[in-house]
Amino acid sequence: MKAKKKVVIVGDVRVSALKQNSKHKPASKGRSGPAVPATTATAGATGLRPRVETGNTAIADLGTPFVAQPTLAERAALDRIDLAVDLAPDHGGLVLRSPILVASGTFGYGVEYGEVVDVQRIGAICCKGTTRRPRAGNPPPRVTETPGGMLNSIGLQNPGVDAVIDKYGPIWQGWQVPVIVNVAGESIEDYVEVARRLDGVPGVAGIELNISCPNVGKGGLQFAIDRDAARAVTAAVRRATDLPLLVKLSPNVADVRPIAKAIEDAGADAICAINTLSGLAVSADRTHAFLGNTYGGLSGPAIKPVALRIVYEVAQVVSIPIVAIGGVTNLDDVLDFLACGAVAVQVGTAIFADPELPVRLGDELRADCLRRGLTSYHPLIGTALPKRTGAPSAKGAEYRP
Amino acid sequence: MRLVAAELVESRQILPGQWLQSFHAPELASGSRAGQFVHVRTGDYSGLVLRRPFSINTTDAATGIITLHFRTVGRGTEWLTRVREGERLDMLGPLGKPFEVDSRSRHLLLVAGGLGMAGVRMLADEAIRDGRQVTILFGALSANHVYPSTLLPDEVEYVVATDDGSMGHHGYVTELVSEYEAWADQAFACGPHPMLARLAQLAAGRRERLGVAKLGRKRGGGKVDPLGSAAARRKAFLQVSMEQTMGCAVGACLGCTVMGVEGPLRVCREGPVFASDEIAWPDR
Ligand SMILES: Cc1cc2nc3c(=O)[nH]c(=O)nc-3n(C[C@H](O)[C@H](O)[C@H](O)COP(=O)(O)O)c2cc1C
Ligand code: FES
Repeated sequence: MKAKKKVVIVGDVRVSALKQNSKHKPASKGRSGPAVPATTATAGATGLRPRVETGNTAIADLGTPFVAQPTLAERAALDRIDLAVDLAPDHGGLVLRSPILVASGTFGYGVEYGEVVDVQRIGAICCKGTTRRPRAGNPPPRVTETPGGMLNSIGLQNPGVDAVIDKYGPIWQGWQVPVIVNVAGESIEDYVEVARRLDGVPGVAGIELNISCPNVGKGGLQFAIDRDAARAVTAAVRRATDLPLLVKLSPNVADVRPIAKAIEDAGADAICAINTLSGLAVSADRTHAFLGNTYGGLSGPAIKPVALRIVYEVAQVVSIPIVAIGGVTNLDDVLDFLACGAVAVQVGTAIFADPELPVRLGDELRADCLRRGLTSYHPLIGTALPKRTGAPSAKGAEYRP
Repeated sequence: MRLVAAELVESRQILPGQWLQSFHAPELASGSRAGQFVHVRTGDYSGLVLRRPFSINTTDAATGIITLHFRTVGRGTEWLTRVREGERLDMLGPLGKPFEVDSRSRHLLLVAGGLGMAGVRMLADEAIRDGRQVTILFGALSANHVYPSTLLPDEVEYVVATDDGSMGHHGYVTELVSEYEAWADQAFACGPHPMLARLAQLAAGRRERLGVAKLGRKRGGGKVDPLGSAAARRKAFLQVSMEQTMGCAVGACLGCTVMGVEGPLRVCREGPVFASDEIAWPDR
């Protein structure tokens, strides 16, 4: 087995990490290659590591981003700015042309918004949570608005992995935009079985494990809040598939760091953070909980500070790429998450109000890089992390209400 | 479905807490059908993250005007009442499936409860344009909540019921239906869930009584249209327009489901109009 050398820059300290890649099988099964768009296929050699070797230029705060119509010369300069990112650098690669993805459950299977959004210009699509067998989901009502956010309790309604593959696989295969299938289950066997079926399916570029599900084998305790269960499910899926493997963290835990570390050790290619926060709304007449399922998951701008905190913490304990999720609404949110160590972000709830946002954020990030004189957005990553590395900082763990 | 910048041209309160707003939106005025809706973005994303769905109340292709009729029920609708003429709102639409009228239907019975008028209002215009006769049965709490007859086409027969008897029939609007059932070729309803459930029950009873006739038609027609298809809806006696809280309104989030007899149905995509026998009504 070949040992991979990985250069990681955090703050102003250059860390060389030797990573024994023995847990990963080489991509050998009959998969039709990773979803690397032809135009960026070479990007892997030119600095697509999550944290990049560009030194530590302080990044000036440039205020509101530049949005005026670009001139021809500016257009050419914009086109030269590299927004590509690899979410599975240690495992065959999952290269996206833009670091702005759409979050699971908010963009269906990529087809629903087709009339109003140019889906090909999105970095990647995370599809609705997919399970081994069809699920009817929770009783209605399932969504409600809350201050600066919303609650949802969809209950993983989906037609089951086989129907998803049959219905959407052929469509996804014809797309340039990579589709990452969000996978949910109630036992390790469930997850493994879904991953097996997805392995080698043309049009499926990767797997995002939604581990915020009750583990029936462990009395309904969520995989996401139990370090050993999170490790076990990640390792089992890793053995079952060569697909790039992203694992999505739940914020509903006391300390996310040991869980993130366990997921990295178990062979995940990237970590996504965060899923929704557990919440509740009351009916108008105050006689019962509003949602048919009583509890719902909170998302939207209201959860951004929580997501930022978790990304900030996770970035200091793992070296695999982090994809931030939670309340992304504008370019400032994207830049905040990058500064806290994310290499890419997912847009979820904000799509409902502004379906064009994920595409527009890519354009705005490009324009912002041009304005800062950057040729890639990678120098924007990790700038807000504590400058001293070595022992992970205890900062941020201090205030735990 | 498209994103449209709709300019507010007129806004007025037609009933206590109920507003009628006109927007210049030619794309919606000419491309929409009765039963469809728009998803309107509010002005304050940091607080109000969801769009608000509204039935398209009326359209006028000649002037490019659409109207929306709503009640102030929260911060989103209150914000909408403060929008000034000339301001543009971001609307996604037209969305959802429209009412399906059988070409042979001469007599249409429209049943509306309260704000449900907005759900069937445009169908009255379409039906009259097509030379059909329309009766609207309308139910409200009391006289001061009754939709003004001046806002309806002259050709419509308008029958009112109020819960307190302050205008028209004293009681529920559903109690008026039996008188019109024989006259009507098809019925279309929008309003509170219990009202729709009662109407569905009446429609099911009618179907049982007319079972033979229906079988006869089926034998003649040969094929059975799949539940939920436009053809099956067109043949249904009762079509209902349902409401549910929504996220995306395009079928992506599965937030707006109601229970159908064959599983969950998305109000925004399979609906908002359904044949009454598609819905799993609470036990009768
Ligand atoms: C309606 C809805 C459905 C969701 N469904 C899923 C799902 O199936 N699987 C999953 O991992 N996350 C799901 N999520 C969580 C989102 O992917 C995302 O993690 C969360 O909404 C936070 O991002 P946001 O604030 O940008 O929405 C869902 C969120 C919403 C609002
Ligand atoms: S509101 Fe999202 S599926 Fe209907």
